[in-house]
Amino acid sequence: MSDNERGGPEDDLSLPKATVQKLINEMMPDDIACAKDTRDLLIDCCVEFIHLLASEANEICEKETKKTIAAEHVITALKALGFDAYLPEVEVVLQDHKTQQKVKDKDKKSGRLENSGRSEEELLSEQLRLLAEAKERFRTQQQ
Amino acid sequence: MRNRKYKTKFPVARIKKIMQMDEDVGKVAQATPILISKALELFMQSLIDEACMETRAKNAKRLTAAHLKKTILEKDQFDFLRDIVENVADPQGDAGSGQKGGSGGGAGGGGTGATAAADFAGAMAAARKGAPAKLTDRIKGKATAKDEDEDDDYDNE
Repeated sequence: MSDNERGGPEDDLSLPKATVQKLINEMMPDDIACAKDTRDLLIDCCVEFIHLLASEANEICEKETKKTIAAEHVITALKALGFDAYLPEVEVVLQDHKTQQKVKDKDKKSGRLENSGRSEEELLSEQLRLLAEAKERFRTQQQ
Repeated sequence: MRNRKYKTKFPVARIKKIMQMDEDVGKVAQATPILISKALELFMQSLIDEACMETRAKNAKRLTAAHLKKTILEKDQFDFLRDIVENVADPQGDAGSGQKGGSGGGAGGGGTGATAAADFAGAMAAARKGAPAKLTDRIKGKATAKDEDEDDDYDNE
């Protein structure tokens, strides 16, 4: 596979072999090994699972006349497909993600600006300076 | 169950790309591929656990494609994987066919784009309708039942 050009939808997209191999090694019992053929087959199964879940979540999303597949759609999809057993851990991941997002949002709001310890005048002159530097870089690029 | 703390994780960006191979799939929230990554982890663990039970039952030390195939055919939850293991040799096959099955599976799965697309289309159809694979099984099931009936007729003689 010597594809260096990536343009448009990729039909032969799969999961990275090395990553999956590592995961398989972590998941397999100590006394059983995984044949190479089996690993490739497992990768195919994983990709198939993604398609299945994505398709189901997409249908649920469309029924709610939403355009973006949200976390809730994935959770409903798992239930619909009979993977209820996965729900508790998946919901934990969702909560962690939401918490992380809140922290990020707080960072943005309280802002590097207010916390930077510089006065408005200093910030203004810094802004003008940065603008001038950027202009200069642009000019030299043009040449 | 097994320890859930894995060091390795699935690449979230790749999952999103795979999702968007389906033209119906439009925008995807940031959390979505992250959740799918977790579900995929659990799925893979489940598949490996079940398949290894078959490995042990066969007193083997290596998990083979045949073990996976049997697991997939036996568990309802893995119905959507039937098409994928179709080309895998059955356990009764010799070592030679086992290898063929492996390379066949490789070519069918992670190999050329055309085959992958065909599998994808077939799998999408199967996932949506759910009929083809199950129909085949029902037919096989009925065939077996008929055989048993015939045996009964002979016994009644």
